[in-house]
Amino acid sequence: MNFCLPAGKRSKRKARVNKGKILKRAFEIIPGGLSWGIILSLIFLSVVYPVASAIIIITFDFYWIIRTVYLTTLLIMAHQRLYREKNKDWLNRCLDLPKEKNCVRLYQLVIFPVYNEGPEVLRPSLAALKATHYPKDKIIVAMSFEERNKQAHDNALILEKEFGQEFGAYLSTFHPDGLAGESRTKGANSTWAAKAAKEYIDGRKIAYENVLVSCFDADTCVEPEYFGCLNYHFLTSDKPHQASYQPMPVYNNNIWQAPSFARLVEISGSFCQLIESMRLEKFVTFSSHSMSFKTLVEVDYWPVDMISDDSVIYWKAFLHYNGDYRVVPLYITVSMDVAYSTNIWRTMVVQYKQKRRWAWGVENFPFVAAGFLKNRNIPLIRKLRRSFHLLESHVTWAVWAVILVLIGPLPILFGGAFFSSMSIAYNLPKITGLLFNFTLLTSITWIFLSWTILPERPRGFGWLKNILLVLEWAFLPLLILVLGSTPALDAQTRLMLARYMEFNPTLKGNKVL
Amino acid sequence: MLTFQKVRSLLFYLSLFLFFAGLPFILLFALGYKFDPQAFKLVKTGLIYIKTQPEGATIYLNNKLVPVKTPSSIRDLLPGSYKIRLELARHYPWKGELSVEAGKVIRLDKIILFPLIPDMEQLNQEKFSLFRLDAESGLIYYLNQKNGVVYRSSLEGSNFEDIASLPENFPQVSGWKVAPDKSKLFIFSPRQIAVVFFEGADNYEYPDTPVFLDYPREKIIQVYWHSDSYHLVTITNKHIGVIESRPGAVAVGLVELGNENTETYYDDKRDTLYFSDSQRNVDGTMYKDLYRLKLNTDLYLLERLIGKKPNELLPSGGEAIKKEGPGE
Repeated sequence: MNFCLPAGKRSKRKARVNKGKILKRAFEIIPGGLSWGIILSLIFLSVVYPVASAIIIITFDFYWIIRTVYLTTLLIMAHQRLYREKNKDWLNRCLDLPKEKNCVRLYQLVIFPVYNEGPEVLRPSLAALKATHYPKDKIIVAMSFEERNKQAHDNALILEKEFGQEFGAYLSTFHPDGLAGESRTKGANSTWAAKAAKEYIDGRKIAYENVLVSCFDADTCVEPEYFGCLNYHFLTSDKPHQASYQPMPVYNNNIWQAPSFARLVEISGSFCQLIESMRLEKFVTFSSHSMSFKTLVEVDYWPVDMISDDSVIYWKAFLHYNGDYRVVPLYITVSMDVAYSTNIWRTMVVQYKQKRRWAWGVENFPFVAAGFLKNRNIPLIRKLRRSFHLLESHVTWAVWAVILVLIGPLPILFGGAFFSSMSIAYNLPKITGLLFNFTLLTSITWIFLSWTILPERPRGFGWLKNILLVLEWAFLPLLILVLGSTPALDAQTRLMLARYMEFNPTLKGNKVL
Repeated sequence: MLTFQKVRSLLFYLSLFLFFAGLPFILLFALGYKFDPQAFKLVKTGLIYIKTQPEGATIYLNNKLVPVKTPSSIRDLLPGSYKIRLELARHYPWKGELSVEAGKVIRLDKIILFPLIPDMEQLNQEKFSLFRLDAESGLIYYLNQKNGVVYRSSLEGSNFEDIASLPENFPQVSGWKVAPDKSKLFIFSPRQIAVVFFEGADNYEYPDTPVFLDYPREKIIQVYWHSDSYHLVTITNKHIGVIESRPGAVAVGLVELGNENTETYYDDKRDTLYFSDSQRNVDGTMYKDLYRLKLNTDLYLLERLIGKKPNELLPSGGEAIKKEGPGE
């Protein structure tokens, strides 16, 4: 409608759009620029002024020791909480709440955005849903297939036959390809399904306040008490519509079958999520999560043109509610598939791509920063804190392994005879060695905890497999080297250079890919 | 959750405190500072790192026992001169005086403490006059000129055995060398080379060992084995030549030498001879040039040369290739 505006207003609007674009690019450049700036500065310093570089590296090493101990303590606390709460009879606790809360009035809308996963992946997810202890007539399942997948209609029919009558409602939707303003992302598919479900909900005259929506990855298997747990937290929360509810993702579906390398990566991923659940002021939705349907509609659904829809939905709500929005951790697990392939190299590639997609969550920074500039109602200090947290977490992700593994030895290598004769040159490897000893200590804690979250060993796997599960932690240095920082640095560099990533779903399945 | 969050906050601030409180100490430690309680100030120190071979030596610093053994470092040393003594039972002690500088490290990491009773043993089981060690094969060859016997043993002296007999009445041995195939050796005197085959070696071709190669008109200075273990590279006072190690072989002169004081080195990995030779300048002064003679790439050439007629037999006056030095 620009043609309706007077010329002056048109040019002002054009200037605003240009300013917005420039700001967006600036915010896109900041994370990658900072990460590369840190890395290149340290390399430069190692060559021209190794003493300064050594001081920075020792400072970082010490910071990393403190951080590792701190985070491992949080992991123990979160793990203890998970251990205590995951087997609670949540639905009964829910029913024990005051009658006005009316626990089972709540409908559960479950959306499965499907890319090209077949019935063999979706069947266990739906079976787990069927096995939940929640009244099935209150469960609305929306299977959202991609129209562009030729098998979609056949798969939908197969699953509909098997599960169509098991829930209060079972909707199969087909997301058309190439809708205006959309990218080929999971968020676009989820939004399509949510809008289709909205028509159903409107048709049944169900109040949005009484619907909780859970958006699950295709391979997500919930625990029987999941909805009880979700309802309990929803009904007992302050401002329940101003919160997302985040279960703990574990990758247990095929963990016994997966190769060591992949298993280790996914266990570490689960642990990181457990740690994050203890840092509520930084906690952001990740992967499968739940929220109020009312809120989802109010914030205009998941983003349809961004890859990290699972976290962007949180930021959309955060901005919508002027910062009064949070994520409530649910100490109940949702189990997914470990991504792996036929050999270690392919597995590494699959894992690398998955981690790079997660690291593409850095696109949240320009989104959030631009949103903060527009929103005048969020206090400045809160904006600064959240921006700093977001930026710090991504920059740290991109540089930590590079500093520890690659830059650490550089002052010694480039320092020459003069630097070698200095006390700091002698002490640098000693302090770095101390760091690795501490890392080893924390690894032992991680190994122990990883045992406790394992599902029961299936038949056909001998006790030797348990030994292997401990020994595989020897892969940790390789893991740090390959998957520590590089996927994050890759993602940030792409964003910095405006080489935007396309959604590249991790192929999932209980079988090898 | 509140309790968890309170504990977490406590942990966070504790970690923050530990970081900011501990970092100065760690950095000062790394840079070599220590607190001097008497002067009540920070002083920059140096350190000495000591590593010995073998390890476990006792360290004395300015004649005071240091309660650690090598390898270890002595920290917090104020700048100045220090006497170090390292002692290990049944080993010679090591002594030294070092000057420690602030913020610097002195690395004594190449100290070997030699044993008082050397780790020494006799290897030969028979008398001998000359020996050669072949470290690659782990063998030692012994030559007894008096009784004309060649022995062989391992590097430890085991498997000591008699492997060949030298020809009787051979004049004083000027030099000798075992062939690369370990089946024979040559000995030479100024006028004669004898190739002696070891017992048990396949020697069906020349059963009447040794093979004698005579040089009546030239003085043999040096002889080398070619890597084929068949040809010998000979340096005489007049020529550099090659000769097969068979009875009646004809020597071929490859290079004519200007001076008998030539220095030679034979690279047996590449079958290349390096040699120096004197040349006369136009003003009559002498100078030396260093040459490289490749004998590896074209053995065919060698064989073709050897295949030439007996008029090329050097001792009887064959014609050798003449060099052209850069100074000419």
